[in-house]
Amino acid sequence: MPRILGIDIPNDKRTVISLRYIYGIGPFLAEQLCDRTGISPDKRARDLTEDELAKLAALLDNEYVVEGQRRRQVQQNIGRLRDIGCYRGLRHRKGLPVHGQRTRTNARTRKGPRKTVAGKKGVKEMR
Amino acid sequence: MGRSSKKGPYVVERLLDKVDRAEQTGSREPIKTWARACTIVPEFVGKNFAIHNGRNFIKLYVTEDMVGHKLGEFAPTRTFRGHGGKAAKGAGRK
Repeated sequence: MPRILGIDIPNDKRTVISLRYIYGIGPFLAEQLCDRTGISPDKRARDLTEDELAKLAALLDNEYVVEGQRRRQVQQNIGRLRDIGCYRGLRHRKGLPVHGQRTRTNARTRKGPRKTVAGKKGVKEMR
Repeated sequence: MGRSSKKGPYVVERLLDKVDRAEQTGSREPIKTWARACTIVPEFVGKNFAIHNGRNFIKLYVTEDMVGHKLGEFAPTRTFRGHGGKAAKGAGRK
C-alpha cells in the first residue's frame, strides 16, 4: 500500500477517496490535490507511481496543513475561544454543544453518557 | 450562513463615534451600549465597554483576539445556577 507523509497508508480505493484518509483532507482538498498534481482522480491508490506519490507528498508538505499540525491548529482555535470568554468559548468549557442545538434532550455526543438524577419522580406520582 | 462581504461588518455607527470620541479625549470610562449585534472592529481594541445583557451591563476590556466577534458574545444573557442540590430538592418536590 502506498505511503504519503510517512504515516498515512490510504488503501486501494480511487485516489480522490483515499487521500481523504489523511487528517485535514476532505472532498474539496482531495479533488484540488488531484487537479494540481495532474493525477487522475479515478486512478486506484495502489497504482500510483513513485513519482506521483513524491509529487503529492511535496505539495502536502509545502502548502497544506494536515495531520498533527492541523490537529494542533484546531485545538488552538478552540483555545482562543476559551480564552477570550465569548459564548462559544463558554460552551466549549462546559462541554455543551456550541452551535445552538437543544440541550433539553439529545446533545449526548457533547455531554457524554447520561447521568441519571436519583429521586426524580414520574408524572403519575406527582399528582 | 455568513454575512455578505460586500456589505462589510455590521458596526453600529453611533458606537464607532463614541469610540472615536473616547480615543480623542483619552477617556477610560467604559462605553455603555445596548448594541450587542455590533461587530468588534480593530478600533475597539484597548477600550472598555459595558454591554447590556438584558438586565445588567457586563464590563469588557476588548483585546485583539476579540476582533470579528460580536459584542453580545461576551455578555451572557442566561444565568444557570445548576440542577439538584439539597436546597432545590427540599423546595421543589412534595
